[in-house]
Amino acid sequence: MCRKDIRMNRHRAASDNSFRLWMIVPAVTVILLIGLFPIIYSLIISVQNLTMLDEDSSFHGLLHYGRLLEDGRFWESMGHTLIFVGIALPAELFLGLALAYLFLDRIPGKQIFVALLVLPVVTSPIVAGATWRLMFDNRFGPINQIIGWFAGEETPLLWLIDPTLVYPAILVAEIWQWTPFMFLLLLAALSNVDQSQLEAAEIDGAGFWRTFRQIVLPAIWPVMAIAVLIRALDLFRLFDVVWALTRGGPGTMTETVSIYAYVQGFQQFETSYTAAMAFVVILLLAVSITIVLRRMEIDR
Amino acid sequence: MRRRQFLVGATTVAGASMFGLPRRASAQAAQTAVDAAKQFSGSEISIVWEAGLQSLDPLNFSGPKWEELTGIKVKVIEVSTAEMFTKILQNHRAGAAAYDALNVIPAWMPDLVRAGALEPLDAMVDKHGFREELQSIAPVYRDNQMMVDGTIYGFPDDGDVFLMYYRKDILGDADIQAGFKAKHGYDLPIPPTTWEQFDHVGAFITEHTGGKPYGATFFRDAPYAQFMFQERFRNEGGKFFDAETMKATINSPAGVKVFSDWVEENKWMPAGVQTWGFVENLAAFLQGDSAMTVSWPPYGRWAAGYGTDEEALSWVPKSQIAGKVGYAVPPGGHPQLAAGFALSVSASSRQKEAAYLFIQWLNSEEVSLERVQLPYALRDPFRDSHFASAEYKSRWPEAPEYLAALGEGAVKGLLDLSIIQTDRYEEALRQGCSRLWAGEDPKAILDDIAGQWDEITERIGVDKQKAAYASWAGNAAAYPS
Repeated sequence: MCRKDIRMNRHRAASDNSFRLWMIVPAVTVILLIGLFPIIYSLIISVQNLTMLDEDSSFHGLLHYGRLLEDGRFWESMGHTLIFVGIALPAELFLGLALAYLFLDRIPGKQIFVALLVLPVVTSPIVAGATWRLMFDNRFGPINQIIGWFAGEETPLLWLIDPTLVYPAILVAEIWQWTPFMFLLLLAALSNVDQSQLEAAEIDGAGFWRTFRQIVLPAIWPVMAIAVLIRALDLFRLFDVVWALTRGGPGTMTETVSIYAYVQGFQQFETSYTAAMAFVVILLLAVSITIVLRRMEIDR
Repeated sequence: MRRRQFLVGATTVAGASMFGLPRRASAQAAQTAVDAAKQFSGSEISIVWEAGLQSLDPLNFSGPKWEELTGIKVKVIEVSTAEMFTKILQNHRAGAAAYDALNVIPAWMPDLVRAGALEPLDAMVDKHGFREELQSIAPVYRDNQMMVDGTIYGFPDDGDVFLMYYRKDILGDADIQAGFKAKHGYDLPIPPTTWEQFDHVGAFITEHTGGKPYGATFFRDAPYAQFMFQERFRNEGGKFFDAETMKATINSPAGVKVFSDWVEENKWMPAGVQTWGFVENLAAFLQGDSAMTVSWPPYGRWAAGYGTDEEALSWVPKSQIAGKVGYAVPPGGHPQLAAGFALSVSASSRQKEAAYLFIQWLNSEEVSLERVQLPYALRDPFRDSHFASAEYKSRWPEAPEYLAALGEGAVKGLLDLSIIQTDRYEEALRQGCSRLWAGEDPKAILDDIAGQWDEITERIGVDKQKAAYASWAGNAAAYPS
């Protein structure tokens, strides 16, 4: 290859690279505008002092971040959120996987059952919450009625007030609504597992658990990881169902970070404080997601 | 002039002055508003109204009537009570002119005025000759729910007050009376006038009837309970703050007594009463499951069956107790003027005068009397003329007794706490109520609420809040006199 050709090839490669860059500029711009601008704007607001009565946009440094560190209610709400994530996520994953296995084989009326199972996902969370509120009603709710039939006497359990019952009540509603989401994704992933490997494992005498661990899990892992990630993020933002059921009560016993942010931002009009809260949550989530993605090795 | 002509003339003048002139005077503000509003014919104004039954007034009655009279369309923006303050303030902050006229809860008024969201109305009141008619609004509403720092920002438009409703047949039952006297050593009071009497009567009836009916039921859900706490706490002698130091005194013995009494009362009320809101309690009372309750005025009308055959009220259980209900101010004698509504004009409206004229017309003697008699609209009597209205008194047999109790409530009523950022204080109280139902210790809860209140006061500024509290506490209706 002569020097001229080499130069031309280099020029063409550079031009190709430049063209590619230009092609992604609009997408990057949109992402920056939609994704980054609100974050930067929140950051700016968080160092001002905008409240219900003051529109003080002067620089107040890390005033609100300092307050946040000392705000017990914020950290408690963070703890409540983690309880929901820590219990609901594994439960949804386990139940979703079990259901997906159940529906993997051809069964009569499979499509109808799948459609019925998916119904909770398409229900608005606030409607789902309101429905469960009626279900848990201590006088007229069917749950207490059913328990009463079994117990042989009236059982006026106060699901949404009793500290020992309120978490199970919310978790039941949340798991009921979102398990089908896990189920759908995992059913799709399981359907694509290489059948020849499964058959080979069966011929070699591998048991269910070994087959699952060494063949099925690696095959469905990317989908499962994404499903877990999506649900974890959703659960971290949990608002509607809790709001409809308890509004964060009794007291602040079930208040999540999202509910606390709503109360501070839209009921108390602590705009700058809420922006600081949002920024800290975004930061925590970004760090956690990066670590999780690296661990899951699905960012490559 | 002949004697006969003189007599006819004199009688006519006297009759006109007795009946005709006041009617003309009362019709004036409404007619003035209509005449002035015709210049805006063809335009549309928006008004924020509480969603649900409340908004049927402008949707079915006043809105269409106003359009017919003036050619101005009324767009009703329905917002739930919990969102109203937020939406109004957001609209103002965003500089959007989405709302022209507003319904505001009077306790919010100082905060909304400080934020600049409400239009001062004095100039328009004078321009359109409404000042005289404002004077016939019952004093407790007129003097406390209309102005902020001497300027008019809203017209009190809803005589919300807690009343006690009791079953005359049950409390008057000879067997119950005899049993009560044997147990407590005094005659069963009809109605009970102290909370101690109330608790004796309520517990006895539950015990005597085996809960069919219960002695009493309440709405105990926290948003309602906090209003009832404010009332009962002050009737027990409690003060919200130390006026000198602005330290919260809600954890005083009066507060602890109220919370402790509530826990005891729940034992003879239906299981799960802690979760009851307005509707659950209404259903229990109307179906005859409860001998006494305390609530807003619509309970009294619906218990009598007034208007409950209207389609809009089809969800209200058919009253099983019509003709058996007595009305009185709650024990303690000083009822909470819980919430209520005032009509205001949004400072960011681009049609302030048209909006103003609509609320003047709504609030006028003539139109407001029609509105408070709408069975579905939840607006309660708030003018002296409403309490005295012969038309209203003829609505059902016990209506005169009902109006008399409302009138008494308007004289003896206690204002909702209204200082800077009141909702923050009330939010802590609401949470406290729900913690009480979760089984926490009353004193510990109240100490915690007091701590939260002190923190809020510190953040707002002790001196600033002290001045606001002094201004509120200076009202005759802030504490029982």
